Amino acid sequence: MAKPPEQLIREAGRGQEKALLQLFDAHHAPLFRFAWRLTRSVADAEDIVQECFLALLKPDCGFDPARTAIRTYLFGAVRNQSLKRLRRRKQGAVPTPPDHDTPESEALRGEMTDAVAAAIAELPETQREILLLAHYEQMPLAEIAAITQLEITAVKSRLQRARATLRETLAAWAPRTERVL
Amino acid sequence: MNDAELDKLLDTWHAPAPPRSLRNVLRERFPQADPHKLARPWRWALVILLGSVALAVALAQSSENRWDIPVVTFLNQLYENFLQGEDARRISSIVARIKRSDPRVYVDGRLAVPLEFGPAASMDVQIPGDGVYIISLYRYTQTRNAAGRPTGWVQAGHAHGNAIEFQAGSTPVRIECNEEIVDSDRPVFVRRQR
Repeated sequence: MAKPPEQLIREAGRGQEKALLQLFDAHHAPLFRFAWRLTRSVADAEDIVQECFLALLKPDCGFDPARTAIRTYLFGAVRNQSLKRLRRRKQGAVPTPPDHDTPESEALRGEMTDAVAAAIAELPETQREILLLAHYEQMPLAEIAAITQLEITAVKSRLQRARATLRETLAAWAPRTERVL
Repeated sequence: MNDAELDKLLDTWHAPAPPRSLRNVLRERFPQADPHKLARPWRWALVILLGSVALAVALAQSSENRWDIPVVTFLNQLYENFLQGEDARRISSIVARIKRSDPRVYVDGRLAVPLEFGPAASMDVQIPGDGVYIISLYRYTQTRNAAGRPTGWVQAGHAHGNAIEFQAGSTPVRIECNEEIVDSDRPVFVRRQR
């Protein structure tokens, strides 16, 4: 049977690297995606994910299994770290180049991807986080509420607002999706 | 554009896979445990030494202890210093928790100016019409100096759960945080800033 995360954290704190790697293997991929989509930088996303796992070993780590699931806690930590970085470097995004490995449709897809990324980047901070968690990580509203420290109703309305804004911003791309996808 | 079309469009934005190096870098940064292990005789010696120290400390603290042995007094002092150091370290993490948990200050029941965080894990609260009070959660705060004179620090309340409550002069002050800051009750000391 898999060990509970608090036990793995305790073992890692006692120097058992395997215990931390077990947590890392279970959670790092979605955390990395979330950090990358928030910061649009692979280097930043890598740093953030590492910091979040290493922070679990610190004596003042605030993870309390009675209050939050480890996934929720880690997403919250990634969110906080990403926001700190975004505020530090106000100049904005470092976009990852889109894949252009096939001709026209791929080029169009690249443009579309950039347009989607830019539209999401333009959303207000909280709406952006909620959209990323809800759409890309398929996270339930209750968990998003715990991460963003908002009421579920507030999460729901911000998600609706974010989607409404994107519908408007990306309206021009709608007819082309059939051709590209 | 309907929901399904928007979802399709959003799905075109793929995140890169985490680099393989991420795991290795985490391993490199993992704090390594001390590989030196004590051989069995040394381990026993250490156990006996620690047992003796614990016994000496217990004797020194016992009211029935009439052995005024310098080494026992010294060990007792060492133990006291250790406790004080531990508490000081704990305060740093409590104050860090307070900082993170959006503390709101209520003076006489009304929302007041936010807390100011000073050096050495101290916090200041402003009392309108009175002045600034420094707050300390350190259990060993001295209210009197060696000569028996007041230091200015007074025990004025306590911290519990997610709140700190105390009297600043005659004004009741409550600091509320959005998460638990102490796991057990802790005295609060305050000193009016000169």
